[in-house]
Amino acid sequence: MRYSHIFTPLTLNQLTLPNRIYSTAHAEVYADAGGMPGDRYIRYYEEKAKGGLGMAICGGSSPVSIDVPQGAWRPVNLTTDRVIEPMARLADTVHRHGMKIMIQATHMGRRSAYAGDPWPHLVSPSGVREFVHRGNAKAIEIEDIARIIADFAAAAKRVQASGFDGIEISAAHQQLIDQFWSPRTNMRTDEWGGSLENRMRFGLEVLKAVREAVGRDFCVGLRMCADEFHDDGLDHEVLKEIAQRLSETGMIDFISVIGSGADTHNTLANCMPPMALPPEPFVHLAAGIKSVVNVPILHAQGIRDITQAERILANGFVDMVGMTRAHIADPHIMKKVREGREDQIRQCVGANYCIDRMYSGSDTLCVQNPATSREATMPHVITQTKGAKRRVVVVGGGPAGLEAARVSRSRGHDVILFERSSAVGGQINLAAKAPQREQMAGIVRWFDLETKRLGVDRRLETDATPEMVLSERPDIVVLATGGRSFSDQVANWGAKDGLSISSWDILSEKVAPAENVLVYDGISAHAGFGTADFLASRGCTVEIVTPDTKVSDDVGGTTFPIFYRRLYSQGIIPTPNHWLDRVYAEGNKKIAVLRNEYTDELEERVVDQVVIENGITPNTELYTSLKDRSLNRGQVDLKSLYAAEPQPALQEATGEGRFLLFRVGDCVSMHNIHAAIYDSLRLCKDF
Amino acid sequence: MWVAPAVTVLFWVSVATLAMGLARRSALWRAGREAPFAWSELLAVPKRYFIDLHHVVARDPYIAKTHIATAGGAIAALVLVALNYGLVIYARLLDWGILLAAAVMLAGTYFVWARRRESPQRLSRGAWNRLPHSLAAFAIGLAILVMAPPQALSLAIAVFALLLLLAGSAELTLGIGAGSPMKHAVAGLLHLAFHPRPERFSGGRSTALAPLALANRDFGVAKPADFLWTELLSFDACVECGKCEQSCPAFAARQPLNPKKLIQDLVAGLSSSSDVAYAGRPYPGISIGAHRGSPDQPIVPKLIEAETVWSCTTCRACVEECPMLIEHVDAIVGMRRSLNLTQGDVPGTAPETLSNLRETGTQGGYAKSARYNWAIDLDVPEAQPGKPVDLLLFAGEGAFDMRYQRTLRALVKSLKAARVDFAILGPRECDTGDTARRLGDEATFQALARQNIAILAALNFKRIVTSDPHVLHSLRNEYPAFGGNYTVIHHTALLAELASQGKLKLGKTTETRTLTYHDPCYLGRYNGETQAPRDLLRNLGIEVHEMQRSGLRARCCGGGGGAPLTDIPGKQRIPDIRMADAREVGADVIAVACPQCTAMLEGVAGARAEILDIAELVASSLEAQQ
Repeated sequence: MRYSHIFTPLTLNQLTLPNRIYSTAHAEVYADAGGMPGDRYIRYYEEKAKGGLGMAICGGSSPVSIDVPQGAWRPVNLTTDRVIEPMARLADTVHRHGMKIMIQATHMGRRSAYAGDPWPHLVSPSGVREFVHRGNAKAIEIEDIARIIADFAAAAKRVQASGFDGIEISAAHQQLIDQFWSPRTNMRTDEWGGSLENRMRFGLEVLKAVREAVGRDFCVGLRMCADEFHDDGLDHEVLKEIAQRLSETGMIDFISVIGSGADTHNTLANCMPPMALPPEPFVHLAAGIKSVVNVPILHAQGIRDITQAERILANGFVDMVGMTRAHIADPHIMKKVREGREDQIRQCVGANYCIDRMYSGSDTLCVQNPATSREATMPHVITQTKGAKRRVVVVGGGPAGLEAARVSRSRGHDVILFERSSAVGGQINLAAKAPQREQMAGIVRWFDLETKRLGVDRRLETDATPEMVLSERPDIVVLATGGRSFSDQVANWGAKDGLSISSWDILSEKVAPAENVLVYDGISAHAGFGTADFLASRGCTVEIVTPDTKVSDDVGGTTFPIFYRRLYSQGIIPTPNHWLDRVYAEGNKKIAVLRNEYTDELEERVVDQVVIENGITPNTELYTSLKDRSLNRGQVDLKSLYAAEPQPALQEATGEGRFLLFRVGDCVSMHNIHAAIYDSLRLCKDF
Repeated sequence: MWVAPAVTVLFWVSVATLAMGLARRSALWRAGREAPFAWSELLAVPKRYFIDLHHVVARDPYIAKTHIATAGGAIAALVLVALNYGLVIYARLLDWGILLAAAVMLAGTYFVWARRRESPQRLSRGAWNRLPHSLAAFAIGLAILVMAPPQALSLAIAVFALLLLLAGSAELTLGIGAGSPMKHAVAGLLHLAFHPRPERFSGGRSTALAPLALANRDFGVAKPADFLWTELLSFDACVECGKCEQSCPAFAARQPLNPKKLIQDLVAGLSSSSDVAYAGRPYPGISIGAHRGSPDQPIVPKLIEAETVWSCTTCRACVEECPMLIEHVDAIVGMRRSLNLTQGDVPGTAPETLSNLRETGTQGGYAKSARYNWAIDLDVPEAQPGKPVDLLLFAGEGAFDMRYQRTLRALVKSLKAARVDFAILGPRECDTGDTARRLGDEATFQALARQNIAILAALNFKRIVTSDPHVLHSLRNEYPAFGGNYTVIHHTALLAELASQGKLKLGKTTETRTLTYHDPCYLGRYNGETQAPRDLLRNLGIEVHEMQRSGLRARCCGGGGGAPLTDIPGKQRIPDIRMADAREVGADVIAVACPQCTAMLEGVAGARAEILDIAELVASSLEAQQ
């Protein structure tokens, strides 16, 4: 039988799960004000339930005590009875589809920032400051300990009262329980510190109180790290010891294991392994814990493929596999597996757009699936239109154009897609050229397969002219023509005279790298460093210059550490806070003139090559020539678009040379991949 | 004049010859094993001949009419000759009757002759091509002798006519003793009287295999003498019309099986001869002439190769088509039983499956506890002793297949929508043993049957539903022999019933593609259920574009009888042929009602129609209503 291990049920306490895939607790940033799961939150989990997922643990780092700030990632507020009713609605909703649901409960200790409601004094065993969140904390007092233990029990009772199937206590990512465990943060000399037994006391007291509150038959699990990767922290052997002792108490029904600590930028990047890390980087650590415990081991981290999950389970490394980001990208994985439609799974590529947004305080969104967490308005499954069948011409095969073609075709229309180059994917194909960014191509791979499967009439290597578009007698024309590299924005950069070249020239291998290269990054997203990395990986001496405060300032918390590992290990010279004023030639060298943002001081660099990454400027030629001929003069009705309603212009009679014209993605103004795809989905879903 | 007495003499000599021939032939049949027998069954022959047999023959109106004329004329003529000349009445009026009968017979032989001029390939030639001539000789000779006025009859003509009659009579009378074509007349009639499955004549379908008395060391058919004598008799009834050959999916796939040749080889075996004189098409890939046997010599491999025996899908298409009502599948399984039980010689991956069945109670070697894993999130109760339930769901081996789980889940959703009181059998369920039994492993089948019967005995239910026609056949038709008597219903019949009672509100389907329905052999031919699936599809608003071979005459998918396990090579795969049938009617979707058919048809490589179980179509119509 295919996937026989995945579809072998797992029993946790009284709970039988239909399969071995689940979604781990993560900070959704979807809860309503006051930390209540509302419509958006419930729909997000309902979609996973509809998709056949066995279990979800929701509410990453949901606090049990009121001295944990809740502003930053809007967790579920387990400190009040008011949460019971909305949680019950969530539980009922997912239960109707056969999914089980638990919630993660925690006290974060120092792992937060005091500067926000309720402006608390954070607590930690010894008051050691946390680096990542700038978590200043006081040394916890005995009275705090008693209060928090009682809070855990009360929160667990609320979870049980809401009809949830279980609770996961977090002792991972350096929350309060593992702050007690870790010698890095616990220097106490009383009964709560010192020996391992003392350091474990707090966690055990919490478990005892929780178990007492919920009784023997309620599922209680624990999430823990299996190696903090700090010399002064907990190593794998100690954590095995801890896991074994916890397991032997008989108080917990499962242990969910992650690898890596999370209290420095660099360790944090491991926790949600981005595409640069190998697949399943820490499964061996989970297996190590499994070797000493007698409860099921759950494990997530870089397991994005269903066959990978099956292999891990078949090897007996763990008992259940978390595929959290995988389900953010495609909540219907299990349904598709059941139906033999694995080819149609939109596979997570590990771009970490989701988690990187969360670390900047924004809601979790998927780089490639704009319907995720927008279930109220955006469909995961596109249904056929009940209206007229139209001819839709899409120009441009980048992410916006591919999504426009996919959605329009799924609505049942005849779709023609023009793409200038010989492959679809647009700028993503360039993004995937950067070292350790190859998996970006996975986004294109899915669109490529889907547009083929759905029967989009794809005309590759076709540079669409207005006449070609009109000769297809379209009802609707969607322009997704993208842009071109904006490396000529400043005349003094000398692009026209060949003094500088663009990042596209390098990544597309149109221009060979020279020996000594200056990369100027005016955008500070992934492309600039990717270009520098591309050059350094080929042996160039590279300096990366940016007017931003740091290199790659606009990539998120789990991505920039990866970039910096590569930056420092390859000797790439980071020069932030500098503008590129001009480039001139001197002999066969190029002189780059840099200006300090803050002092206006000028510096010069003598290099062989100046490479400019400055985003794109939109391609508007086709739009300009079609605009006046279209019924709607190329205008998108913004009110309808933002309200996720059909465009009013769709009411008009089209055909016989009458057509609607819309633009999506970069050909309007520079956006990212998510935004480009979202543009198309929200526009085309009502075609 | 001496003519009339000569006919009288000839008549009585013929009767004597026939009797001697019959005695000689019946001695061969009696080499077979004892079978229940009553002379009174002879009285049933007219009804069985004119109704049951004619029902099959009438499917080919040309030959039906031809046979009525030829055989009817011959029999009428013989009866009148017996009267007029046998009893020495010599009445002129009866001669007119004889003339009329001979004329009808002659007309019949003309059509026999006409067809044999460009005969379909399925017909055997050789001695069979002689028949129109010898039978015409009989009719002409008889007509001349009885009707020509004595004065007009010169000696030469009289002798000539007598010789014609003699030749014709020889065909008729020597046939049975010599084992030539006309033996079919006598053997055929006796076969109708002493048919091994007399239930066939009382309205039932009679498709269950007879249990082997393993305790009596009965291990099936190793040599011709191991058949029941009535079976040996049935082989002699064969008219080599090749209807079986034409319907056989293995033959179509060029696997080394031809049911007609198989029966003829068994005839050679029972009469200690060879296939040298066989004048039909061979087993594909195996040449004619080297097969030889005798009643007490092993059949395999000298008379019939093992590959032939293992090519059969047990689809019963041959049985359905046979105008002489011969039971080919019983013969095949009889031989398989011996090969399996006494030699353990089963090809392909079948031994692995059989050992899985013995060791795990599943074909794939799964844990039985995993059989209902697919149902966990559907929240279906498991049958418990002491907890009565209306309906018990018996999932079968398909429950371990990801694909078929979709069908089962769809079925469960429909049952829930109809608010049926049902439970799954759960981890106690054993394989029914259908595959083991078809592969000749009667011991494993009986062991599994006893286990299931014991399990079911502990539960309180009214009916069993299954979506697997093989399960249906075992439970409904074959378990009664072991004391398991249940009301078993196929899911299509149940869903049709629920729909007709208004409990299941079927919506109009959203399926707009061209659809055909493939009848599973074990649902159609084995259980006679061809209507319920079609009713359901019609109620969903789906028009079924019928394939040429459908209903009781549908072509097999290739998945029955353990054939996918023995996997005897041919030139084509059976499911590919079936897919081509569907393509012929332009089907984009093939509706199915069996896990085997689903797997076989979905296994067709390249562009093909989508395979959807009727349960899936029903469930998706329910979803569309929500």
